[in-house]
Amino acid sequence: MRESKAMIEAKNVSKHFGTLQVLKSMSFNVERGEVVCLIGPSGSGKSTMLRCINGLETYEKGTVTVDGKLVDANAKSILAIRTEVGMVFQRFNLFPHMTALENIIEGPTRVKRVPRQEAVEEAHSLLKKVGLTDKASSYPSQLSGGQQQRVAIARSLAMKPKAILFDEPTSALDPETVGEVLGVMQSLANEGMTMLIVTHEMGFAAEVASRVLFLDRGEILEQGPAKEVLSQPQNPRTQDFLRRVLHPVEGVSSSAFQ
Amino acid sequence: MTTFIEDSLQYLPLLLRGALVSLQVLFLSLAVATVLGMVLALMRLSNSRFLSVPAVTIITVLRGIPIFVQLLYIYFVFPEIGIDLTAFQAAILGIGVGYSAYHAENFRAGIISVDKGQYEAAKSIGMGTRQIMSRIILPQAVRIILPPYGNIMIMMLKDSSLASVITVSEMTRAAQLIASSTFKNMTVFTLVGLLYLCMSLPLSALNAWLERRFKAK
Repeated sequence: MRESKAMIEAKNVSKHFGTLQVLKSMSFNVERGEVVCLIGPSGSGKSTMLRCINGLETYEKGTVTVDGKLVDANAKSILAIRTEVGMVFQRFNLFPHMTALENIIEGPTRVKRVPRQEAVEEAHSLLKKVGLTDKASSYPSQLSGGQQQRVAIARSLAMKPKAILFDEPTSALDPETVGEVLGVMQSLANEGMTMLIVTHEMGFAAEVASRVLFLDRGEILEQGPAKEVLSQPQNPRTQDFLRRVLHPVEGVSSSAFQ
Repeated sequence: MTTFIEDSLQYLPLLLRGALVSLQVLFLSLAVATVLGMVLALMRLSNSRFLSVPAVTIITVLRGIPIFVQLLYIYFVFPEIGIDLTAFQAAILGIGVGYSAYHAENFRAGIISVDKGQYEAAKSIGMGTRQIMSRIILPQAVRIILPPYGNIMIMMLKDSSLASVITVSEMTRAAQLIASSTFKNMTVFTLVGLLYLCMSLPLSALNAWLERRFKAK
């Protein structure tokens, strides 16, 4: 058993969907307390890589470890690993038949067998933390997208994870609610939570991430401190991607008026 | 009209006793069909071919043979291979097993209608397959399952009359016996029709109530 410093470690991870290779021998680490953003065009393998870390996807070659433990989606050990790595989804995926509070205590009471009373108290303090004190008994359908996503973050935190994976957490939100979710994520980062975030929010990445990895076609093309990669990208594909994300109108107008 | 009422009052106690047996056949066979249907649905949805292929085969065979023929088979052929059942037991088994195929397909449709993201969210907090099914998927699938479930239940009530053929003394058989000895066909079979209708109405109401209870929040 090798002592590993990294919280999340991917080593030469490869995966195919049919004949298409979506991950090409990908390697990176996420250290304890670090916030790392994965950016890149759609289809670049960001989400797939993220989902390999908690076993929602399988990988064919290489290794993924979380806190030194090997992630194998088909082994029984995956259940324990999932209690240690939270996940927040693009489409929130709250349980619609449960209230916000019930969503949050489901994992602690059913999986970790925490006494209900204790879980409820913890859930209330988590709801306070994400700014939804008065929404404990609301059902997901009664909440806005931003509120649902904050409940989803609280649900994930309720398991007291060592790290949280975010899969485009603001992509399905109305623009005016993006800020409230990013705010919660920022405060988590400030508290030292280890986070790996797939995102298109470049401003947030620049502000909060310690490192940014740029992925394209299943490879890491560029990585480094967030501000460096985002403001002075070296790789032409990174430059091209960032130009299109940061100035989407330019491309439209130039082609429209040509 | 007065004779109809007089005759009705005379036959009603016998018919009601038969109706009670019809309801017993219904609820016991419904229990068999529901449990077996759920087992078949989960087998069919399983990733293992050792479970899904037999489930598909069983469902296809059960659906392809009339319940009537299945009842005759269980009642008349099973004793020849050493399985002796009373007429009542044969009726429960025949109708229950025969209808499990329809319940299985209904359950399967309900289960696959639940969004994939729900499985992933449940997995991501460390839930195992059994918990995911019982806590997350089935409570949501119930909404989709209930309306057709009520339909099948009423079909089963009506098909419980088939048990008369294998001598179960349920309502239709009671009616046939009364009619053949009194020749009051119109009175007897009108009454029987009305009584089946009267039994199906509360079942529909029960189902409507359940649907309201499980309505999306």
